[in-house]
Amino acid sequence: MFNNDERYWDIQKLNKWFAISSILFLISMGWTFIDDNDDEFKVYQREFRKMEIEVSEKKLQQELEAVKAERVSYEEKLASAQSLLDTQNERLAELEETLQTLKARYYNENMIYQGQKAEVDGLKYLVEAENAHHDAHHGPSHKDDYAAAMDLLHEYKLIKEASEIEISKTEEEIMQIQADVKLRKDQLNVVLKDVNIVDNKLTKIDRERMTFANKVGDVVRDLPIIDFLDPYYKVHQVVVKDMKYDVNFAAVPKVDRCMSCHLGIDKPDFVDAPQPYTTHPNLDLYLTSASPHPMDNFGCTGCHAGRGRGTSFVSSTHTPSNAEEKARWQEEYDWEVMHHWLQPMLPTQYTEASCFKCHNNNLDLKGADKLNLGLSLVDKSGCNGCHLVQDFPQLSKVGPNLTKLDEKVSRDWVANWIKAPKKFRHNTKMPSVFGQDNQDSPEMQAWNDAEIVAMSSYLVSENGGKKSTSDHRFMGNAENGQHLFEAIGCMGCHVIEPDPVETETTLKDQTKRHGPNLVGVGSKTSAEWVYNWIKDPLLYNPESRMPNLRVSDEDAKDITAYIMSFTNEDFNAMPGVDLDENALNDVAFTHLSKQMPEAYAEKKLAEMDLDEKLHYVGKKSISHYGCFGCHTIDGFEKAKPIGTELTEWGSKPVGKLDFGLMHDVDHTNHAWFDAKLKNPRIFDRGKVSPPLDLLKMPNFDFNETEVEAITTAILAFNGNKVDEAIKAHNNVDEMAQEGSRLIKQYNCQGCHLIDDFGGQLVDQIGAAEYAPPNLNTQGAKANPKWLLGFFNDPSIIRPNLEVRMPSFHQITDEQWNAIIKYFQHLDNEKISYRDDLAFDKHSIEFKGGEMLHELGACNNCHFYGETFPKQDASTWAPNLAMTKDRLNPEWVKEWLRDPQTMMPGTKMPAPFLPTEDLLTVDGAENDWGKELVKMNGDTEAMLDGLRDYMWSIKGKTNIDKTIQDYFDEHGYDFGGDDEDDEDDDDWGDDDW
Amino acid sequence: MIDTFKSVIDALSAPTVSFTLLTVLTPLLFPPTDWFDKINRKLGIYKLWTKTGCFVGMAFITFFFIVGYFDPNFNITLTKPDNFPIVLMVYSMFFFIWLGMNKAYINDDRLDQGMKPLEYNDPDDKVLVWPDLVYIEFIALILFMVFLIVWSILVAAPLEEPANPAATPNPSKAPWYFLGLQEMLVYFDPWLAGIVFPMFIIFGMMAIPYMDINPKGEGYYSFKERRIGIFIFMYGWLILWIFLIVIGTFFRGPNWNFFGPFEYWDPHKVVPLNNVNLSEYFWVKMLNTGLPENIMLREFMGFVAVFAYMFIFPIILAKTWFKDLFEKIGPVRYTSLMLFGLTMFSLPIKMYLRWIFNLKYIIAIPEWFFNI
Repeated sequence: MFNNDERYWDIQKLNKWFAISSILFLISMGWTFIDDNDDEFKVYQREFRKMEIEVSEKKLQQELEAVKAERVSYEEKLASAQSLLDTQNERLAELEETLQTLKARYYNENMIYQGQKAEVDGLKYLVEAENAHHDAHHGPSHKDDYAAAMDLLHEYKLIKEASEIEISKTEEEIMQIQADVKLRKDQLNVVLKDVNIVDNKLTKIDRERMTFANKVGDVVRDLPIIDFLDPYYKVHQVVVKDMKYDVNFAAVPKVDRCMSCHLGIDKPDFVDAPQPYTTHPNLDLYLTSASPHPMDNFGCTGCHAGRGRGTSFVSSTHTPSNAEEKARWQEEYDWEVMHHWLQPMLPTQYTEASCFKCHNNNLDLKGADKLNLGLSLVDKSGCNGCHLVQDFPQLSKVGPNLTKLDEKVSRDWVANWIKAPKKFRHNTKMPSVFGQDNQDSPEMQAWNDAEIVAMSSYLVSENGGKKSTSDHRFMGNAENGQHLFEAIGCMGCHVIEPDPVETETTLKDQTKRHGPNLVGVGSKTSAEWVYNWIKDPLLYNPESRMPNLRVSDEDAKDITAYIMSFTNEDFNAMPGVDLDENALNDVAFTHLSKQMPEAYAEKKLAEMDLDEKLHYVGKKSISHYGCFGCHTIDGFEKAKPIGTELTEWGSKPVGKLDFGLMHDVDHTNHAWFDAKLKNPRIFDRGKVSPPLDLLKMPNFDFNETEVEAITTAILAFNGNKVDEAIKAHNNVDEMAQEGSRLIKQYNCQGCHLIDDFGGQLVDQIGAAEYAPPNLNTQGAKANPKWLLGFFNDPSIIRPNLEVRMPSFHQITDEQWNAIIKYFQHLDNEKISYRDDLAFDKHSIEFKGGEMLHELGACNNCHFYGETFPKQDASTWAPNLAMTKDRLNPEWVKEWLRDPQTMMPGTKMPAPFLPTEDLLTVDGAENDWGKELVKMNGDTEAMLDGLRDYMWSIKGKTNIDKTIQDYFDEHGYDFGGDDEDDEDDDDWGDDDW
Repeated sequence: MIDTFKSVIDALSAPTVSFTLLTVLTPLLFPPTDWFDKINRKLGIYKLWTKTGCFVGMAFITFFFIVGYFDPNFNITLTKPDNFPIVLMVYSMFFFIWLGMNKAYINDDRLDQGMKPLEYNDPDDKVLVWPDLVYIEFIALILFMVFLIVWSILVAAPLEEPANPAATPNPSKAPWYFLGLQEMLVYFDPWLAGIVFPMFIIFGMMAIPYMDINPKGEGYYSFKERRIGIFIFMYGWLILWIFLIVIGTFFRGPNWNFFGPFEYWDPHKVVPLNNVNLSEYFWVKMLNTGLPENIMLREFMGFVAVFAYMFIFPIILAKTWFKDLFEKIGPVRYTSLMLFGLTMFSLPIKMYLRWIFNLKYIIAIPEWFFNI
C-alpha cells in the first residue's frame, strides 16, 4: 500500500508498539473486572454459604430424625394408594385423551362465541346510535340484524357451555381416581414440612445437590457483567426511610449494607459462629420482624452508627472498643480510621447512646442500663445546670440553696469546703473546682485562695453559723436516734458512710445516695439547725427535695443527736484558707479591667476597702465558676448557665473538639469525653493561659463506670434526628413523662418499687413486709382522687410498718397529678374519675361474698375501721374500711384472684374459692351456705361478690391515732430479718 | 546527615528564599542575554541539559521524594491521593523541559556549524497524517488509557465528607491545578487573582503568536534563536504557575501557614501578619496624620503608582531599553506585550513588596471592593 520510504516512522516498529499497548490495555481491562469482582463481602459470603450448608445439613438430619417413625406409616399408605392407582392406569389414559379432544373442541367453540360477541357489540352500537338520533337517521334500521345476532350468540353460548360441562365432568373423574394418592401425598408432606423447607434451601445453596443445569446456572449467575441479573453473591441492603443521614444541605435515608457480611445476624442458628457471621445477641428486641426494632425499619446504623454503605471492614468505619482490639484489627484487617466519615460506628460500650434518639422522652428504658445510669448521673451531678441539654433539661438545682447559709455554717467551714469538699465528705457530689492540675503553680494557688475566701465571704456573713454544735435543747438519745434513722425511712435517700465503700455504681445504688452522705454533720453545723431541718426542711429551703417525715419533737431530737455524733476532726483541724491581699487585688483588678480601661480599674480598686473587694471578687468568682448552676445564690437569680450547650454535642465533628496540645488522647469524640470527664482540665496541659482563661469545669472524680455511662449519655445528645413516625412512646402523655422525671427527682424509687425498679430500702430494712410497699400496678390499683389526698396528707395504710410515707409539701397538686398520670400510664389505666361502685346487698353474689369473707377470716390481719385484727401487730394489714375510697374495684377483683402473681412475695393469701366438686357433695350447703352452692363454683361471680362485700365494710377510714397509741404503748417489737420464720407461721396460711 | 538535608530544605523552601532563588536561577537556566549565558557556561549549568544532567536531575527529585516518603511529616502530604498528580507533574515538567532544552542545544550547535536542525527531514519536509501522526497518537492514547485505568484501580478516589458550612477543612485547598491561583490570593484581592489574572493568562497566551513575530525556531527545537521569549515564558510558567502549585500543595498547612516539607503541620502555629496599606504608609507613617476622609485623596498615591507602572513605565522603556524592540514590532504589539508582561511581573513585585515592606494593598478601597 504505502511506500515505507515516504514514512517518517518505521511502520513495523509502530505495529509492535501497537501490539504491546493493546495487550497492556487488554490486561488492564481484565484487571478492572477482577478488581471489581474481588469484593471483601464476597469472600465472607462464600464462607457463609459453606457454613449455611453445614448448618442446614445438620438441621436436615435433625428434622429427618424427628419424623423418622411417623414417616414410615405415611409412606406405606402412599405406596398402597399408588399401587391402587396403577391398576386404573388404562382408564386414566383414556380419560386424559378425551379431555384433550374436548379442550380442543372447546377452544374452537369459544373462539366462535367471542367473535360473535364482538359482532353483537358492533350492532348494539349502531342500534343505540339510531335510537339517539332517530330524526337524523336515514339509512336502514339495524334492529333486526341485532336481534338475529343476539340469537346466534345465545346459540353459540349453549354449544360452548355444553363442552365446558363435559370437560369439568372428565376432570372430576380424573381427580377422583387420583384423589387417594394426592391425599396421602399431602399427608406425608405435612409430616415432612420442616424437612422439605430445609431440603429446598439446601438444593438452592448446595451445589452438590443441584442438577447439572442448575450447577451451570449457579456458576454463570456470578460471572462478571452477567452478575447484574441475579447473582448469588451480592450486596444485601435495607433502605431505612425514617432514619436520615445528614449531609448538611439535605438528609438522605440511611442505606445499610452491613448484612452483606454479617450474614447470620438475623438468623438464630449462628449464635456460636465467629464474626462477622454471629447472630445478633438480642433477637427478641432487634432485627426480626416480630421484634420492636425490625431490620427494615431501623437498619443497623440507626443504632450502631457508622458507614452503612460500606461493604468492607474498613470502609464501614468499625470502631474498636479498646486499644487491644484496635491493635488486633490493624493486624488482621489493616484497619484504619476513615477520617472523612463524620459518624463512625459507636464502640460497643456506647451503643446504648443511640436508644435516646427515639426514646428521648424520659421514661426509664428497659435494657438500656448504661444510658439510664448516664442520664441519671447527668441529672444528679448537675451537668445540665451548667450545660444546657434541650432534650434533657435540668429539673431543679442539685445543690442546696445557699441563700440562708448564715444560719447553717461558718465562713471558715465554707472556705475549706469550697477548697476541698472531698476532704470533708469523701463521696460528696460537690465537685472540686480547685486544686486541679491547671492550678498548681504557687501564684495560681494564691489567686484561687483569694477567690475562695471572697466567695465564702459573699455567701456567709462574718458571724454566720457560729452556734453550738452540742446544744442539749435539741439533742436527745442518739441510740434511739439511730434506730429511728434506720427504721422510719431516712435511708431511702441517705447513707452514713464515714469511710469510702467499694461499690459498683448502679442505678439502684444511686437511689441509695440520693441525699448527701451524712458523715461529718457534727463538724459542720449546729444541733439546732439539724433539729429544725428535720422538723421542717422547707422552712430553711423551700426548694429542698427533702420531705417532712412528721417526726415528733422527741424523735427529732434523738435523730439530731445521732447525726451530730458523726464528726470530721481532720477537717475541723484544717487551718482556714489564707487570704493574700495582693492576690485578691490581682483578681479584683483583672475582673475590673475586663469591664473598663485599666486606669479606671486601678482607680476603682484603690477606692474599695477590703470588704468591698471581697464582695466584688466573691460575686465575680461565683459567676466565673458558675456555682449558681447547682445552687440558689442571692444575686444570681437570672444568671445564664456558663457551660457549652450539649444538646447536639454527641454529633460534634471531632475536628471541632479542642484537644489542646494533647497527643495521647485518641482522636475520637468519645475518647475526648472520656478524658475530659476523668480530668476536666487535661486539655490545658502545656498551654499558657491567664488565670481567667483556664479551663474551669470542676472535677467530679467519676469512676470508670460513671465516665463510661456519662460518655454514653453525651453521645446520646446528638443531632441524629429520626422521623416522628418511629419515635417511641409518642403516645405517652406529656404529663406522664413529667411524672416519671418527678419520681426520679424525689427519689420515690429509693423506697418503693416502681415499674419494676427501685426499693433499695427493702434491703436495709430486711423483710419486704415491713418495707415501703411495692408500687407496681399502682396506676390500676389506687383511686386517683384518694391518691391525691393521700399524697397531700399521708395517713397510715399498713399499720405494721414503722417506716412511713413522708409529706412532700414541696410537690404541687399539678405535679402530683403528673405522678398519678405516670402510674396510670404504666398500667394503661385510662379512668380518672369513677362513680361509687353499685352493688346489690341482696344479690346472691353479695351474700356469697360475705360468706367467703367470713370463711377467709380477713379480720385475722385486717383492720375494720377501729376494730383491731385478731392476730398480733406483726401481721397487721390495711384497714378494709378504706378500701372503697382507696382502691379501684377492677383491681381489687384481680388482686383477690391471685395476689402472688400481682405482687410476688406478698403476705396476702388468695381467698379460697370452692370448686364445683366441693359444692356438689352432700352437706355442702352446711359448709358453704346456700348462696355459694347456688353459684356453683363460678369464680367470677364469687370474686365479684367478695369485692362487693368489701365495698360495704363501714368504719373509720383514718385510724392513725388508734394505731399510734397502740405502738406508743407496745412499741415495734418485730421486724427485721431474724423474725421472718416466725412471721410465716403467724399468717396461718395452712388453715385455709 | 539526612536531618541536616531536611533542615536545609526546610529553610530553603520558605517562600521568600525559594522564590528568590528560583527567580535568580531562571535567567541562569534560560539565559536571556549573553551576559547570563557567560555565567551559565562558567558555572556549567548548561550541563543539566545533557543526558547526565537528566539523570542527576531525576535522581535528585527521586531522592527528595524518597527522603520525604520516610519522613513522618512529609509522608502525610506526599501520600495523599490528591497529591499524586503533583508528584507526576514534578517529574514530567522536568523531563519535558529537559527534552526540549536538550534538543534545542543540539540544534543550536548544528546551526552554529551551518547544518540544518535535526528535525529537518527531506526537501518537501512533510510527514503523512496517516500513519505517521495518527498511529502514534493512537498508541499514545491507548497507553494513557492503560495508565489511567491502573491508577484508578490502585488509588481510590479521594472523596471527603459531605460539605459542611459549619466545619470547613483546615487547610481548605483548591483542586491541585488551581493551587497556583489560590497562592496568588495571598497577595492579591480575589477579583484580581481570581478573575483578572486568569483571564490575562488565557488572553496573553492567545496573543503570543501575534506579539512574537520572530520567524526563527519554527518547527524545530532551538534556544539561541528566541532566548528572551523562552526566558519570559519559562519564568511565568515554571515560577509563577508550577512553583506556586508546588507551594500550595506541599508547603501550605493549617490556617494557610507556611510549613517546610519536613515540618509538622501544627494547627496551633500562629504567624503574625501585620500588613499595612500604601495609604497608611504615606499618611500615617510618613506624614503622621490620620487617613483623609476622601477616598480618592486617601488612595491617590496608589493610583499614581499603578498608573505610572502600567502606563508611564512602558513609554519610558520604549524610549530607552526597548527602543529597538518598539521599532521592530510597532506600537500595537508593544502595547499588548507591555500590558500582559507588566501584569505578569506585578505578581513577583507584589510578593516582594509584601515580604519586605509588609505591604498589603497599593490601592485599598474596601468600601468599593477595589483593592490592588
